[in-house]
Amino acid sequence: MTASQARNAGLPIINLLRLKGMPILQQLHLEERLLRTSSENWCIINDGTTRPTIVMGVSGKAKELLETDAVLRDEIPVIRRFTGGGTVIVDQGTIFITFICNKDAISGLQSYPRPIMSWSSLIYKNIFQGIGEFSLRENDYVIGNHKFGGNAQSITKNRWVHHTSFLWDYEVSNMGYLKMPTRVPEYRQARNHVEFICRLKEYMSRSVFIDGTMDAVAAYFALRSPDVDDMQNPSSQFEPSSRILTRQELGEEASMELVGTVSQTSYMAAISSTFPTSKVA
Amino acid sequence: MICRKFHQKNPRSLSQWWRFVSSATVPPSRASSAAADSELVSVFRAQDGIFKKPGTLFSSKNRCPESSWSIAIGISRCRFTTQTMADDPFNGVVDVPLAQTGEGIAECELLKWFVQEGEQVEEFQPLCEVQSDKATIEITSRYKGRVSKVLHVPGDIVKVGETLLKMVVDEDIFSSQPSEILEVIKAHVPDVSKPEDAGPGLSKPKVGGVMSTPAVRNLAKQYGVNIEDVRGTGEEGRVLKEDILAYAARGDVLSETSASADQSLEGEQIFPSISSTYGWEYEDQTIPLRGFQRAMVKAMTLAAKIPHFHYVDEINCNALVELKTSFQRANSDAGINEDSQEVTLKGSHNIGIAMATPHGLVVPNIKKVQSLSIFEITKELARLQELALANKLSSDDISRGTITLSNIGAIGGKFGSPLINAPEVSIIAIGRIQKVPQYDEDGNVYPASIMTVNIGSDHRVLDGATVAKFCNEWKQFIEKPELLMLHTR
Repeated sequence: MTASQARNAGLPIINLLRLKGMPILQQLHLEERLLRTSSENWCIINDGTTRPTIVMGVSGKAKELLETDAVLRDEIPVIRRFTGGGTVIVDQGTIFITFICNKDAISGLQSYPRPIMSWSSLIYKNIFQGIGEFSLRENDYVIGNHKFGGNAQSITKNRWVHHTSFLWDYEVSNMGYLKMPTRVPEYRQARNHVEFICRLKEYMSRSVFIDGTMDAVAAYFALRSPDVDDMQNPSSQFEPSSRILTRQELGEEASMELVGTVSQTSYMAAISSTFPTSKVA
Repeated sequence: MICRKFHQKNPRSLSQWWRFVSSATVPPSRASSAAADSELVSVFRAQDGIFKKPGTLFSSKNRCPESSWSIAIGISRCRFTTQTMADDPFNGVVDVPLAQTGEGIAECELLKWFVQEGEQVEEFQPLCEVQSDKATIEITSRYKGRVSKVLHVPGDIVKVGETLLKMVVDEDIFSSQPSEILEVIKAHVPDVSKPEDAGPGLSKPKVGGVMSTPAVRNLAKQYGVNIEDVRGTGEEGRVLKEDILAYAARGDVLSETSASADQSLEGEQIFPSISSTYGWEYEDQTIPLRGFQRAMVKAMTLAAKIPHFHYVDEINCNALVELKTSFQRANSDAGINEDSQEVTLKGSHNIGIAMATPHGLVVPNIKKVQSLSIFEITKELARLQELALANKLSSDDISRGTITLSNIGAIGGKFGSPLINAPEVSIIAIGRIQKVPQYDEDGNVYPASIMTVNIGSDHRVLDGATVAKFCNEWKQFIEKPELLMLHTR
């Protein structure tokens, strides 16, 4: 038995799925399906998504969290995802890393929000040794006191998902679509978006970050490339709950026909053209 | 049900189980709700050719006994269960609050309900989904019962400790199934993770210096035990449910038949050395059910809810006996049990073998039988038998079976009416091979070794035709074992 085999002996298996540029809605659908219908452990790394998209938590209210006039005007898609947590705007500069695990996958880890969050921070802590002052502040990953990663979770009877969106890079102008939320972490201290967050690219390259993550995961799991079949949907009964909000839900008045306003159908057509429903390659 | 009396070699052996089974007259009162609860694997619908479909699994997802084993393991992990704070659980309705979901979380938003008023819920069934901070969390029910009133609607903010819903709890709450199975696992499977009563998220206030949950303190009250006298075996000296039960049982004989209709928790204390003024010489002795016996009571009570049908047939084993003899000659491994007469079916996955041990009835299973050779199966069977006798079966050995074989014939009897080992959907009782005269094709009499089998099946899943076809195919392989070579991969 080789050293790596010996190390792997006894470790639970995790399917490592490397993606690049997958639309975020498709990723959320995949994650929810794996959470609810798979019995295996998964680590999904999506290196950047497509066009800028706003993603709110499961109970997010668009009017409270977004500058909806600008969002409607610029036809920015708004998705309500199946996990809790806050609002982010994601694009090609966002790196997504998701863990979907059985609750007994990690020995000694209890499936409460806090322990899962703490465990996940151990994964990333290793990568920043000697590079930056990484820590988990409240529910965010920060360097110093600047947030670069936001977390959300869903915990079911026997499994949990913990997913993170990392700001490797971002457009300042995109942050303008997000309002200051009413519930903020204490350490934010009334800073606006740009003063509050930072870019991961100032600390390391994308590949160093992703490779470092995979090495860290290998300390807890035996990594495995998933079969394409594992990701197909054998049960046609599963309906994911993450979805794109309609213009009405974003607050557009149905009775008013403003000149130059794009109608709902063409709005949906415009944004859904970038969300293909083809299966994962 | 046709049952015969068997010669009892050992008390509380397999034969006693049969006697218990044959006298059980509990009607399947919850059959309809059980049917509603169980989700059936779609593959079973294949009507024919189970040998052509090796992947076919006959298994119901009504997972009570199987999950009862996993409950013990699960109980050492944290669950987002509701914890009752009822003062008087015996009027039936309990307030079920939102339990602590994490450090520092004082309230959650209710997102959606999975159950509605009037609905029957099982233990650990998800009740609702809440959101706290960054996480959506499924809240599962700690108890089995019926939802009587839902107190919040989606969108409400519910404080930790506030009542979520009211439930009518089915059984007496504190002699709950998890603690029984917990005992079984603890007593008999020492290598399983240590059972703990509750996770760190649940409140554990101290009472006069003793740490315990409200449920455990109530239990102590019911048994008339001063909790401060009990030595806690949990983390940091926490007093657990089993500590109370063990303390109460020490020195007193408790009556705890969970099959009894008596809902009272008051342990009857019977003093064996009582002397009566009436001069009775013989006293009834109440023996607490422990270990496998207790698990068996539970499993059989559950099995009684399943609508069984039984299919009986006779199989000519002449060829099989010859084959077995030639195997034995070829392989002189002393570890093989010479009395074993099990037959392995291709197409089944994890085949359980009922074993009568000095500790009671247990059903370990041989995994992935379709991938094993007969030799490998025999070795695995021997291994499981040794473990069963030594009372060292692991929980994996006894779970995830897909069908059970009961070789009652090894002890005696022509055939019996076996009860299904839920959540499986079929069980086969194999009677003793009897030598009887038979007619061959030319009308001549010849001695034949005839074995009677009784296949008990869940009529919600299997119909007579399917089982008959299965039995015919199986019978063919036994009567003509050379056909096995045709199909062996």
